[in-house]
Amino acid sequence: MRLRVGAGTHTGRVRALNEDAYMLRADEGLFVVCDGMGGAPAGEVASQLAVDAIHRELRETTAPFGEAVSDERRYLPHTNRLAAVVRRSNEVIYEQAQKDPRQAGMGTTVVGAWIRQQVVSVAHVGDSRAYLWHDHRLEPLTRDHSLGEAQMAAGLIEEVRRLPVEHQNALVRVLGREPDVEVDLREVPVQPGDYLLLCSDGLTRMVPEFMLAQAFHDFRKPQRICDFLIAAANSNGGADNITVVVVEVTGGWWRRWMNGWMRFARREAVSGFGRTSGEVCRS
Amino acid sequence: MPKLTLQYEGRLLKEYTVGVGLTIGRAPDNAVIIDNPAVSGHHARVYSESGAVILEDLDSTNGTYVNGQHTLRHIMRHGDVVLVGKHQLVFDSASEFAMAPPPAVPSLGDTMYLDTKQGREMRASLQPGPGQALDETRIRPGVRAAAKIPTAPRRVGVLQVIAGRAEHTEYDLEAHTSLIGKSENALVRLHGWFKPSVAVAIARSNDGYVATLMGGRTTINNEPLEKRHALQEGDVLNVNGLVLEFRWKDLVAESAA
Repeated sequence: MRLRVGAGTHTGRVRALNEDAYMLRADEGLFVVCDGMGGAPAGEVASQLAVDAIHRELRETTAPFGEAVSDERRYLPHTNRLAAVVRRSNEVIYEQAQKDPRQAGMGTTVVGAWIRQQVVSVAHVGDSRAYLWHDHRLEPLTRDHSLGEAQMAAGLIEEVRRLPVEHQNALVRVLGREPDVEVDLREVPVQPGDYLLLCSDGLTRMVPEFMLAQAFHDFRKPQRICDFLIAAANSNGGADNITVVVVEVTGGWWRRWMNGWMRFARREAVSGFGRTSGEVCRS
Repeated sequence: MPKLTLQYEGRLLKEYTVGVGLTIGRAPDNAVIIDNPAVSGHHARVYSESGAVILEDLDSTNGTYVNGQHTLRHIMRHGDVVLVGKHQLVFDSASEFAMAPPPAVPSLGDTMYLDTKQGREMRASLQPGPGQALDETRIRPGVRAAAKIPTAPRRVGVLQVIAGRAEHTEYDLEAHTSLIGKSENALVRLHGWFKPSVAVAIARSNDGYVATLMGGRTTINNEPLEKRHALQEGDVLNVNGLVLEFRWKDLVAESAA
């Protein structure tokens, strides 16, 4: 199994600074997106600290699989290790914020994906999201830790939409604001042909999910998908920093060629190039 | 003219004249805006009617309290203390205070974080506390169902070995992801030269299990497994010669025992 990666970040059209940070380690299968908050210079410090801490901790913990922190929750060892590393990065930011008064109160969201043995472990805190494009559908892998989501989960409101905007997006969990943090975990097996999307809320607030799905449907190259999504977010307003990481899980050349051909055939069938190609692609 | 004084934790925030009437809530179109998650968009209203000032709860989520008593409709008397969320409105029946302040428009906020205190408050407001039980009729049935805190699943999937070499005769699928393969993390360990490191991953979701092919050859009910497959009672998996049957096992009897 190989990974092809595309990534991009953009300040957007409203903000002066980009407080997002991301990290790609395709060889280790590790991808992280962080969206910092807390105003200059704290926001970008927090997100960069988180990204660096996650990478460093994961590398420095020499054991191939760290101790399972919460075995009873029954996650795979590498999922537990990712969670431990994210919690450690929380401590790093929190300690730094305590030391430097200019950075007091800084925080960051995080969404991290670690692909090992064809299972992707996703850890997240805040409202940066992960999606899986599988079998022509885009599945959300995370649920925002925002007030809107929390209230909806508790059944207090029927739809997030009923809340005023500033409450919808208020976060109930971020990295770096408290000495300890609860990290949400998710495990998903991936197959060749699947795509993983990690993004900050600058994308998901500007671009509806069906348009995200459309991008995966229309383009094959991860970098092309990224560029398209960032452009889409900007053309819809670009109210916040936009960071997009797309990881394609590929098989060998044969599998890639097949996928490409199938996609071509399907497009031909949709645009009505004759019934035969439609029959072929369905078989 | 009668007036209301908005207070929070003993601090006086603002004064409002009742006039013909005013609404209290979190939404920007209220006369009394209380920006707190525990307060509903339109929480309550106060209005004058034939010389009396009446307080009415507008079907708020967390309720309105007058002098500590939950109330839906109340005729206000001098000195009444209205509790909306954590804010207090003290009623003064005869005041010469003029001019209600114009409703402020809240700025479209950046991403913000509710700190521990606010967060705790918010979480408290999400759970029906004593004396403020959630009104079941107010919440649509579908929403209520989704709102239920997920209880521990009462049954678990089991893979039973029918044929082939394996360490156990039965495997409980308790983990979020159970692997079948040669990998040391696999629940069902395969042994042999040409066996894949991970042949099949079985992911557990809220209501069932989904098997995904990871490598090697696997058939399910004698059909090759290609994409994902939601496991059903009685499904037979053949993973490189190891034959496993999926079935459900109830946990109720065990927990009761």
